[in-house]
Amino acid sequence: MFRYVLRKLVNILLSLFVLATATFFLMKAIPGDPFMQEKNVPAAVRENLIKYYGFDKPLWHQYLIYLKNLLNLDLGMSMRQQYQSVVDIITRSFKYSLQLGVVAIIVSVVVGVAIGLIAALYNRKLIDRLIMLAATVGIAVPNFVLATLGQYYFANKLRWFHVAGLHGPMDYVLPTLALSVLPIAFIARLTRSTMIEVLAADYIRTAKAKGLGSLTILIRHALRNGLLPVVSYVGPMTANIITGSVVVESIFGIAGLGKFFTDSVSNRDYTLIMGITLFYAAILMASRFITDIAYAIIDPRIKISKKGG
Amino acid sequence: MSKQETVLSVKNLEVAFNTRGGLVQAVRNVTFDLKAGEALAIVGESGSGKSVTAQTIMRLIPTPPGRINGGTIDFKGQDILKKSEKEMEAIRGKEIGMIFQDPMTSLNPTITIGRQITEVLMKHQNMNNTQAKERAVEMLRLVGLPNPERRFAQYPHEFSGGMRQRAMIAVALSCDPTLLIADEPTTALDVTIQAQILELMKDLQHRLGTSIIMITHDLGIVADMCDRVIVMYAGKVVEEGTKEEIFKNPQHPYTRGLLRSLPRLDQPKDEPLIPIDGTPPNMMHPPKGCAFADRCENAMRICAEQDADVTTHSPTHASRCWMHSAV
Amino acid sequence: MKAKLTLLLVSIVASVAVLAGCGNDNSGGAGQEFRMNLGAEPPTLDPALMQDQVSSTVMSGLFEGLTRMENGEAVNAMAEDIAVSEDGLKYTVKIRQDAKWSNGDAVTAHDFEYSWKRTLDPNLNPPAPYAYQLYYIKGAEEYNTNAGGTVDQVGVKATDDLTLEIELKNPTPYFKSLLSFYTYYPVNKAVVSANPAWAAEADTYVSNGPFKLSSWAHSDSIDLVPFEDYYDRDSIKLEKVHFVMISDASTESNMYETDELDWSGKPTGSIPVEQLAQLIQDKNPELVSQPQASTYYYNFNNSKKPFNNAKVRKALSMAIDRQAIVDKVSKGNEVPAFAFVPPGIHGVTKDFRDEITTEYFTENADEAKKLLAEGLAEEGMTAMPEFELSYNEGGVHQPVAEAIADMWNKNLGITVKTQTVEWKVFLQNRTSLAYDVARAGWGADYNDPMTYIDMWITGGGNNDTGFSNAEYDALVKEAYSTQDQQARVDAMAKAEQILIGDNMAIMPIFYSSVNTLVKPHVKNVGIDYKGDIDYTRAYIEK
Repeated sequence: MFRYVLRKLVNILLSLFVLATATFFLMKAIPGDPFMQEKNVPAAVRENLIKYYGFDKPLWHQYLIYLKNLLNLDLGMSMRQQYQSVVDIITRSFKYSLQLGVVAIIVSVVVGVAIGLIAALYNRKLIDRLIMLAATVGIAVPNFVLATLGQYYFANKLRWFHVAGLHGPMDYVLPTLALSVLPIAFIARLTRSTMIEVLAADYIRTAKAKGLGSLTILIRHALRNGLLPVVSYVGPMTANIITGSVVVESIFGIAGLGKFFTDSVSNRDYTLIMGITLFYAAILMASRFITDIAYAIIDPRIKISKKGG
Repeated sequence: MSKQETVLSVKNLEVAFNTRGGLVQAVRNVTFDLKAGEALAIVGESGSGKSVTAQTIMRLIPTPPGRINGGTIDFKGQDILKKSEKEMEAIRGKEIGMIFQDPMTSLNPTITIGRQITEVLMKHQNMNNTQAKERAVEMLRLVGLPNPERRFAQYPHEFSGGMRQRAMIAVALSCDPTLLIADEPTTALDVTIQAQILELMKDLQHRLGTSIIMITHDLGIVADMCDRVIVMYAGKVVEEGTKEEIFKNPQHPYTRGLLRSLPRLDQPKDEPLIPIDGTPPNMMHPPKGCAFADRCENAMRICAEQDADVTTHSPTHASRCWMHSAV
Repeated sequence: MKAKLTLLLVSIVASVAVLAGCGNDNSGGAGQEFRMNLGAEPPTLDPALMQDQVSSTVMSGLFEGLTRMENGEAVNAMAEDIAVSEDGLKYTVKIRQDAKWSNGDAVTAHDFEYSWKRTLDPNLNPPAPYAYQLYYIKGAEEYNTNAGGTVDQVGVKATDDLTLEIELKNPTPYFKSLLSFYTYYPVNKAVVSANPAWAAEADTYVSNGPFKLSSWAHSDSIDLVPFEDYYDRDSIKLEKVHFVMISDASTESNMYETDELDWSGKPTGSIPVEQLAQLIQDKNPELVSQPQASTYYYNFNNSKKPFNNAKVRKALSMAIDRQAIVDKVSKGNEVPAFAFVPPGIHGVTKDFRDEITTEYFTENADEAKKLLAEGLAEEGMTAMPEFELSYNEGGVHQPVAEAIADMWNKNLGITVKTQTVEWKVFLQNRTSLAYDVARAGWGADYNDPMTYIDMWITGGGNNDTGFSNAEYDALVKEAYSTQDQQARVDAMAKAEQILIGDNMAIMPIFYSSVNTLVKPHVKNVGIDYKGDIDYTRAYIEK
């Protein structure tokens, strides 16, 4: 197990390195620079800025300097937000995205699995069909449509919630709804189809033949097998949700990481672009890694070390 | 329980399934008895209704789409068909145990073998964790698994096919049930393992005195293990008798056909086997008369019209055929 | 058991609905609180490093310069008295004695000298983008551009704690209003020289204005509260200014409707275009619409055929219907523009636009066709080649561009391709003259026509058209050299004639307007000629 973890970590670091290199050169290749504004900056000032940030050095030199800083875990200062370090910006914004994200993930999993279970248990009856219809709609409707409509009807017209911000517990409801409708729909469908399969499995019949009660059978025998596909979906889904949906955060005025991701590219804020890209990548890889481990823990048939059982 | 007491008595059982295409009548008027300590074989081909009969005894058939349309199942003096689900839960695993055909799919891959035994013990015998574990290990040893303490913590995929079936037997017998129903327990295993499992079952049967219903299409197993046999075709019992009676003196043309189609050791190698021509009928529209009529070489006109009554050949041997039935 | 699960699910949903139904109290801020939207996180709140309107909106409450603008006039603020020499080149300023910093220090002339020299410092990290606003001061440009000037040669000196002497390069009649501009703010010398990151967080921030920075939750909100030792504390009625940072226009609109904001729209917020059109049509009483001294126009690439030909440029300018654009496309109460300097900019005694009424051109499709043919012939071309009209994303740029391309097509029979270009790339293309016709806009920095006129001198930093005219350059120099406002205005009027009337170097389209929604209980918030907001003397009347 230890060697497996070690190997995975080395893989992740290598991937991040490759990513950092690719991003650096791609980023510099885009036309435009951080210093251009509508009201032009005088040439002398522009030169000073370029010198200050080291953009007058040859590209490979800039790259090496960047790498050196990276190894010292120094992501630099943002080029647009003065005197704000990239690390500070990321930790600050990520906190918001994380808070919302965790709530959305929990809601998605709990509600999705519950709905999927109900659909599986009432398979082919009216409830099942209604749930599946709702799930299809949920997958089809984009989250910004849900967000905008939700905001307009529930916050503006009905005044049940604040329009924007993430300051109190009730503020989580609308953004969580917008973020989790798609995952809920997906997880519900996944749970339903897997559970239908599982509930028809021979080992469920055996469990029944042993005289176990239906709740015991569902929870102890069926669920563990039925949730494996859900676990592998939830891993990458977690990374996506946590790193923030740009659109949902923008609509609800949440100061999360998503907005910085796109704004930093428009602003050509090189240091911030690099920092956020690497951060996102690390989160994605970490979530995949955790999913692998979780899968191995849940399903004893998955071997993660080379030794046999 | 004395040796000759009747443990199970099935009378006029009728089970049908409501499917998209129509009503499938799987079990039509099945009657048989099982005595204490006895090993009864239910023989028939796929679709004959033998598995459905067995699962109905445990009330495992889901009731939609299945429907028990008639009959009684008397188990140790109680009518199974009248029991509530909760009452059945108390019987399943405790009074009646069942093992299934494919041990790989019949065991839960994500739960340890040990747990799959202890949960039965903890449910029915009110044992705590330690007691249950002790008994489970004992059961594993009883079914011939070496190193049972280690095996206790392992998962089904870490067992071979034969070992899994042994484990299934351990699960089924852990509460020392009165009746064990074995639905084609060795069909998925290879021949050598098959022999071992059968040996085990015979041994356990003698030791524990369990009554066994063995569902099989393999006459070899019948010969090896069972005391009595009932032959089913198209949802009905067409012949029943002791092992000797069935093998030495089969009365129903279907039974004769089955025996004739068995490969024999003294047969020349390239001599073709003798199958029974034709295929079983569509159980959605079962024929009016004898279901075997269109495949029977002795068929008479009345066979297609009306099904024969039961003819008794001896206190233990009976068959349902117009050839023997008094008109 | 199935029933149990269903029941659980239903009860979860029900409890959320009930909690939600318990309602939210959105009524306006406790008493005297003014809430508006900044639209984005300010990149900085350091006067030396600022260059955008988000930052300046916040800063205008936090800092105060030697003068401040009141009703369009510069009045003394930090300055008690400003004496100007005869030739208009020397300013002697007496600082008020009761001016304080928010940390208790007294505001001194040394703070002003330090601040301006710091902004001009070529080695400032990072360099100040708006330092050129200080180039009116003698020696400033030489120092800042490393052209041989030293810091001691910069014409600003604190002769004692309360006296500041300023020497200008040219007589600048509007210098007093420049002194109110944020580049001219003071900074606390002791605090800033000790900590270069003083402006990054609220707890290290020191300012001298009517409000102080009570909290800065980055990317989320900023709160200002009154500075108790501000010399004019009694004029400050608000107890709190709350800024949010909502980038989505419809979210801002929802917040205004639910009373979570007291103000919506310019300068830093936005009203969705269709909604604005509806508000104007409905004559909504909460909508305040006033002209803004800002011109919306198109650049011609004067260095590229056939746009190098004045007749071609004039033809294009005459072949569109500005009123139709304003009425049907931009729909924001804009005013069609037939010159470059917008209304609201001072002339001699009245607005420049009221005093200089020359009609530089008229819209006339037939004339335009003729002119186009003539111009093309001069360039040796028989037909107008297909060209590209580029613009950046946002606002009304796309619909306006498409409408104009359509008008050119109908009226002149030419094919124009409209193209959205990403912001930075757009800027780069425009600056490097890699375009045919490009959208542009210019807002005033100070209230004098020169802020518009001096853009187009040969090689000017903001001249991205390639326009170059020796006479124009001379007129600009002339206007710089004198204090006589009449002489200056005459020179600038002649310059505008050359720019638009004779050459049509650029194509004016409309003068913008400021559209904002203001809650009826908000009083005394001013919007000046450039569209900047002054909330410092506002109050809430419920």
